Amino acid sequence: MKADQVLDAKGLACPMPIVRTKKAMDGLQSGQVLEIHVTDKGAKNDLSAWAKSAGHEMIQMAEEGDVLKFWIRKG
Amino acid sequence: MAMYPMTAEQLNEMIVNKEPFFLFDVRNESDFADWKIEGENISYLNVPYFELIDGVEPVLDRLPNNQKIVVVCAKEGSSKLVAEMLVEKGLEVFYLKGGMKAWSEYLYPVIAYEDDDMKVYQFIRVGKGCLSYMVISGKEALIVDPSRFIDVYKQVAEKENVTITHIVDSHLHADHISGGYELAKQTGAKYYLMKSEGAVFEFEPLENHDRIEFEKVSLEVLAIKTPGHTPGSVSFFVNNKLLFSGDTIFVSGLGRPDLGGKAREWAKDLYDTVYNKVAQIADDVIVLPAHYANFDEEVNEKGYIGNTLGNIRQMNEIMQGKTEEEFVEHVAQSASAETPPNFEDIIAINRGVKEATPEQQQELEIGPNRCAVHHTH
Repeated sequence: MKADQVLDAKGLACPMPIVRTKKAMDGLQSGQVLEIHVTDKGAKNDLSAWAKSAGHEMIQMAEEGDVLKFWIRKG
Repeated sequence: MAMYPMTAEQLNEMIVNKEPFFLFDVRNESDFADWKIEGENISYLNVPYFELIDGVEPVLDRLPNNQKIVVVCAKEGSSKLVAEMLVEKGLEVFYLKGGMKAWSEYLYPVIAYEDDDMKVYQFIRVGKGCLSYMVISGKEALIVDPSRFIDVYKQVAEKENVTITHIVDSHLHADHISGGYELAKQTGAKYYLMKSEGAVFEFEPLENHDRIEFEKVSLEVLAIKTPGHTPGSVSFFVNNKLLFSGDTIFVSGLGRPDLGGKAREWAKDLYDTVYNKVAQIADDVIVLPAHYANFDEEVNEKGYIGNTLGNIRQMNEIMQGKTEEEFVEHVAQSASAETPPNFEDIIAINRGVKEATPEQQQELEIGPNRCAVHHTH
């Protein structure tokens, strides 16, 4: 999956992964893809729900060991 | 204006005292719908924290100005973020210290029974609806269905100046991790569990014991199939007065027999238990279950969860006058809803076939218990 920007939010606890994601998203153009890496398991449900309510599209999720990866396309 | 931490203990005290307050839950909507803090006089608002990162203005007019506001999230971080923003707007707010994780792990003791021979503590784990017990007689104590927070039992034993000598699990729990093995290791107590439950560590098989006796307590093991989630569930009948019913009989219903994928087969065993075994136990025996579904409905005037068998029989139509067919049909239908979160992993840990760090155990246990037949949430 090709991303326009990668955000490393590993080691951060809630709410920081979403706060950082939101900030990074604000800097992207509509249609661009942000790749996010987190270790906080709670981020899984929250990022999906946030993306939906903010009008973005969660394209893909992956789990690699302890790291959760997300690809979100800006709406 | 300022924000203040509120511990799970303080929050629970408000709920037990039926004090009205406003709960502002900032977790995502599905988590809130799945599992939340419940109480008779709680007013709720659920708006996820991630919709408030740019400001709390959208919720200001939905918050009361004459009621205590408690902000709650999963682990505390987001509730503090939101609470800080509310303080900047001139509100006074509390946040739940440790979030829903702390809520899930909080338990408190109440005295459920006392006579010349014994004293019984019930430990209420409010966040999950789990109950465990300590039966004290003379200088000894027996623990029933301990949670993994074993320090709580050790502290009460110390306060009562008794030694924990026996630990029993009524079945292999599916919704929470048992503290039985660890507590036995630390106290030297004997740990009893049905061999048929398939645990791989060292324990005392309940199959070899009709009774467990100490000081002035005689605990009868009702091992004639009282299946809950697993075929080896048992109940414990103490001094012909108290029935520790595990996940078989609750104050408001019966345990679900479907978690082994054999709902109908096990429902027949449950029928046999209720209509043959339990039917012979007197009406004035007090039932002390391993779970409850709704605190306000099931707590009695003495502050513990329990009721006489007679009352429970009367309130639960399914417990009397039904044919086996009707019974099995009812149980199989109502048990087919959602399963307890992560129940397969939790069973594996309780059998000793899977290891988990304390943090993983915490994650696995988060969420509601779904052990009774009639649970709808």
